[in-house]
Amino acid sequence: MKTRLPLPLHLQFWDLFLIELSNWRWGWRNLALTGTVLPMFGILLLGSFARELGASALSFVLVGNLVMALLFEHMGKLISHFAYLKTAGSLDYFATLPIRKAVLILAASSAFFILFLPSLFVVLLGGAWLLRLELHVHQLALIVIPLCALPLAGIGALIGVSFRTPEEASAVGRLLTILMLTIGPVLIPPERLPDWLVWLGFLSPATYAASALRQVILGPLSFRLLLDTTVLSGCILIGFWMVDRKMDWRGN
Amino acid sequence: MTDRSSSVFSVSSLTKLYPGTNTPANDGISFNVVEGEIFGLLGDNGAGKSTLVKQMVNLLQPTRGTVKLYGRPVQEDPLLVPRHVGYMPQAARTLNSLTVSEALYFTSHLRGCNRREASRERERLLQLWDLHAIRTAQCSRLSGGQQRLLQLAAAMAGQPPILILDEPTNELAPQRRRHVWQTLRAENREKGTTIIFITHDAIEAEKIIQQVGILHKGRLAALGKPSTLKKRLSRELRLELRFQPESPPNLPIGLRPQKLAKGHWLVRLDQNQVDATLSAIDLARIDDFQLSSATLEDLYLHYT
Repeated sequence: MKTRLPLPLHLQFWDLFLIELSNWRWGWRNLALTGTVLPMFGILLLGSFARELGASALSFVLVGNLVMALLFEHMGKLISHFAYLKTAGSLDYFATLPIRKAVLILAASSAFFILFLPSLFVVLLGGAWLLRLELHVHQLALIVIPLCALPLAGIGALIGVSFRTPEEASAVGRLLTILMLTIGPVLIPPERLPDWLVWLGFLSPATYAASALRQVILGPLSFRLLLDTTVLSGCILIGFWMVDRKMDWRGN
Repeated sequence: MTDRSSSVFSVSSLTKLYPGTNTPANDGISFNVVEGEIFGLLGDNGAGKSTLVKQMVNLLQPTRGTVKLYGRPVQEDPLLVPRHVGYMPQAARTLNSLTVSEALYFTSHLRGCNRREASRERERLLQLWDLHAIRTAQCSRLSGGQQRLLQLAAAMAGQPPILILDEPTNELAPQRRRHVWQTLRAENREKGTTIIFITHDAIEAEKIIQQVGILHKGRLAALGKPSTLKKRLSRELRLELRFQPESPPNLPIGLRPQKLAKGHWLVRLDQNQVDATLSAIDLARIDDFQLSSATLEDLYLHYT
């Protein structure tokens, strides 16, 4: 009987991506609801307050809600998904296959991102129409949008498997979301925030995601985009490195 | 413990204490599993069997002691166990969003088969476990028994040299259970697969087990070949009596029957008690009786 070698990483990724993509069979309603309806309500509600503050404030409402959906919904989905995998015993199934943890997380994250794309377009177009904002989508959006979804993916998976129950993991995820959304100019323009909160915002990937998204969907592009994409890429690399080093799918 | 040089698994002084508990789930367990052997783990609920196999497949960190696979500690290399062992967990619902066919294909492919081999492997396993009729069914919609067969098939996907199966016949109908034991025996005989399993189905499993470990309250209460262990109970015989529930037979003083069902008793006898017991029983009140030597189930009951 022969012992086989593990698959090359790209083939591992493709298989795991397809396995994770099959989640649409049960999860598409949930994804559509949280991915479309909640951000649209957020835009409607905050937009009604921001309308009298001008186009700049409205752009923060649109982009802030997109960041919320893209970055935090994505992280939230990965938290619940990995917490579910742990509770259902599926993590044991993956842990006993010759695959890399980071590849599984990258595959899960990519699959959820693909599943979220239709909602993203609906929110982007619907939100711009509701707020009467003119979109100037640059082709760099094709790079920036995935960069905005991935920075917290590794952290999401780590939180998902680190807590005893899915409820505990989700609560930690929500707390993290609220913290990162409230610091920095994500939903609210910087001129309406105290200086210390704006400075604190430089520590949150949401600030960079919001800035990058604003430039590629509303324009204009500036050198700030280079800083934003570098920081977001760094967050992705650090996140996956941490997961590879710290995430232990063995129980205690 | 016997010194067995061709051991695939060597478990040594393994102790597992879960956080927040005082009683160890596994307490100083040591044994070896030899290449090509069928090793059965028996024990009561909560005896620590699943905890033990989870440490063997590196899903649970031991508190003390070591588990070695081919002479290397399983924690040393995260791919050591996945490359050699097909593991079937106790929880059956793990591949919910895939169809049966997809689950087998992806598992084979991820275990290192190329695409053509993975497709062949999928077909072989669908055939072997009689899953053809449900090949396009989504795993989440399968019955408990079908899920169990799929998990068994997934554990065998890619033909790993070692199988570790946590209660493979749970939730299965009797004819399916028999099929499982026959298939595992054939897998062992034809491919030399080392098979380690947990079961409560001692009577059926007896036909294939070559070495048995009986766990009781986290400790290894007995270890060895069933025939050797049974010699310790060899003077004990089983007398099964079936009768009309309203007229139970009278037994000689000192014999206490174990009630298996209404109108069905099991009496354990020493060899020198047989004549006296059979003479004392009014056979007119007995529908059927059977006298036999000790089974693996008796061993299990004796040690737990």
